[in-house]
Amino acid sequence: MRQAIAAFITILAIASAVAAPATAQEPRRGGTLVMGQSTGTTSFNNAVGSGTGIMVPGAQIFASPVMHDDKWNPKPYLAESWELSPDSLSMTLHLRKDALFHDGTPVTSADVAFSILTIRDNHPFNTMLAPVERVDTPDAATAIIRLKHPHPALLYAMGPPLMPILPKHIYGDGRPIKTHPNNSKDVVGSGPFKLVEFKPGDQIVLERFDRFFIKDRPYLDRIILKTYPDSQTSILELEAGRLLLQPFFNRVLELDRAKTNPQLVITNEGYAAVGGINWLLFNNKRKPFDDVRVRQAFAYAIDRDFIVKALHKGLSKVATGPIHSGFPQYSPDVTKYSLNLKKAEELLDAAGLKKGPDGVRLKVTCDYYPGDEDGQKRLAEYMKPALKKIGIEVEVRAPADFAAWAKRMATKDFDISMDAAFAWGDPVIGVNRTYLSSNIRPLVFTNNAQYENPKVDELLDAAGREPDAAKRKALYGEFQKIVTADLPLFWLTELPYHTIYNKRVHNPPTTIWGTASPMLDVWLSEK
Amino acid sequence: MFARSPVAVCGLVLLVAILLVSLIGPLVYVADPFDIVAAPLSPPFSEGALLGSDQQGRDVLTGLIYGGRATLTVGAAAALISVVIGITIGAVAGYFGGTVDEALMRFTEFFQVLPSLLFAMVLVTLFSPTLTTVVLAIGVVSWPGTARLTRAEFLKIKQYDFVAAELAIGARRGRIMWKVILPNALPPLVVSATLAVGAAILFEASLSFLGLGDPNRMSWGLMIGSSRSYMLSSWWAVTFPGLMIFLTVLAVSLIGDGLNDALNPKLRERR
Repeated sequence: MRQAIAAFITILAIASAVAAPATAQEPRRGGTLVMGQSTGTTSFNNAVGSGTGIMVPGAQIFASPVMHDDKWNPKPYLAESWELSPDSLSMTLHLRKDALFHDGTPVTSADVAFSILTIRDNHPFNTMLAPVERVDTPDAATAIIRLKHPHPALLYAMGPPLMPILPKHIYGDGRPIKTHPNNSKDVVGSGPFKLVEFKPGDQIVLERFDRFFIKDRPYLDRIILKTYPDSQTSILELEAGRLLLQPFFNRVLELDRAKTNPQLVITNEGYAAVGGINWLLFNNKRKPFDDVRVRQAFAYAIDRDFIVKALHKGLSKVATGPIHSGFPQYSPDVTKYSLNLKKAEELLDAAGLKKGPDGVRLKVTCDYYPGDEDGQKRLAEYMKPALKKIGIEVEVRAPADFAAWAKRMATKDFDISMDAAFAWGDPVIGVNRTYLSSNIRPLVFTNNAQYENPKVDELLDAAGREPDAAKRKALYGEFQKIVTADLPLFWLTELPYHTIYNKRVHNPPTTIWGTASPMLDVWLSEK
Repeated sequence: MFARSPVAVCGLVLLVAILLVSLIGPLVYVADPFDIVAAPLSPPFSEGALLGSDQQGRDVLTGLIYGGRATLTVGAAAALISVVIGITIGAVAGYFGGTVDEALMRFTEFFQVLPSLLFAMVLVTLFSPTLTTVVLAIGVVSWPGTARLTRAEFLKIKQYDFVAAELAIGARRGRIMWKVILPNALPPLVVSATLAVGAAILFEASLSFLGLGDPNRMSWGLMIGSSRSYMLSSWWAVTFPGLMIFLTVLAVSLIGDGLNDALNPKLRERR
């Protein structure tokens, strides 16, 4: 017995000795991380703009009240701690006292209050902070957010990509915030990096802020963000070792190629909160798409397994409903649609769309937005042969540019169209907008299916206010059930976003926000 | 004369073969070029895809057979438009001379100094890419050369004695321009029109390559355009349509050369 134990201990000792060198790689200070981005940056102020081009650099320059880990747990950042009142109507933030802006002035509760109200009134995600009534500042290190009704999404809305804390003495000088000159030059935040150079359309140079409030962080000396609108250029730069990290990469072909390169690693971690889904939008107000049987027939004729396996080479995932499967509110208990051409034809017959002598029941146009080849264009093109099988003739309408597509969406001048959206941390922020009847607006990325269901409006409203996580999940479960049966639009895939990085990069950003959160722990090894 | 040039005959045979495949092929081999027949990017000689499949799983061979129609239609129609505009403007400018000539030539120069591909891209972008807009765009940007050539011919021929004779017997302007001068100016114009067909086909391919082709009409240009980013991993999806365009343009150019030799009186005397 004793011998056995001794042997066991010996084995353990050997195992740990063998394992030790691998884990003992000490983080190293210094180095320049060259990062790629596909959408150019025009502004760094993510208090008034969304999109990866603003949020990725914005989250490095500005600090936010909280950040999150890879399991959706909030972690202290500018706020050391926080508590929610028992009635869920006020959130008290206890701020760090040692945080400084890049110009040396301390971060105070006045800056937090100013930022929250600025975001509430100017950010394109207008549901995000809508319940905020006011922010009280009893002392310089305490901010109390007063809410009109409980707002469980608030903890996510306070995360790095969504709630930059702006210095009030600079951005509160009375000039209009959306066009403030300091949005794109001499930007002042309190984040780990400060802006030193900005060449629009080319590169952004961020340098370590030496007086950053978290000790010994960040590890990197510099981050250079280079704009590569062409995915082939990024992959060549990655292969040459000049580009070290490329986030938000969704080109299937190049991802597949990067997989085989021993110098490169690809991961789909770091996109949980982004929650991107694409779908086929039906113009519910236009005949025959006002008939649920017609919409369901489309769903039964589209082979999502083919899209995922063949067109996306297994790099995406079938989207079963309106909420991304990585979200805590996701429910698999929904109406499911799989390829069934016979059922599709029966549904169309029942809806009165009989085949003509040429075998055609219906002619429709299909739009898509440019710039996302695998997530949009190729799927729009796939609709043509897929729907032909049930007698629907599809004419793909290639948009001249994004504005041309956006105009068709805003004016509802379409039959069916490819579409997509990010959820950004909570359904209230990024999912509601597509289904709420109050959000049928002449704007892109709103409820362009023009879906109206009072029950859904009610559920989403209740879920938005429900402080209890389990009850909230149940409400969203009910919502997902109804919407998948009504099928105002048909979800296709969870977008194949990946990060490609060089083996020299350690601790790549894999929290729920990925690169849209501060890169404190990322470090570079020599070779 | 034409028949005696082996090169021209080669061109003609090649063109006839391409026309046969493109016009008769779809009648014999019934399929939809947009159908998914195999796994995306299957190499040539795969099951169901003799020449391979593209990134959507569409058969490249079917695309070649069905794509010829659109490509050749665009080539012919766009060349026709450019020739009609070019001859009209060139003829009027050359015949009337003076201020009319001045005005029309400045107008022509306006089109000549614009980079034609960029201009065509703007036009197609403005009016969404369909086969008709592509044809019109190519036609509208490629006439200045024909106009210049026509004007030069008209300037020369209108001084000949037989034109003076027509004037003397009181022939109307329309008759002199279209019935007397134009037929005599035709030989170089025929050659230029033939070459315009080849140029228009290349133009269509360039537009499609840049993503500005009609996505609902299979054409060789569209095939190249939509498979261009897969070129490094799957050569077949771009090589075969590229080869078809190359052969067609080559055939048209050879015919143009042959016609040039045949219609050139100086060459005729020498032989």
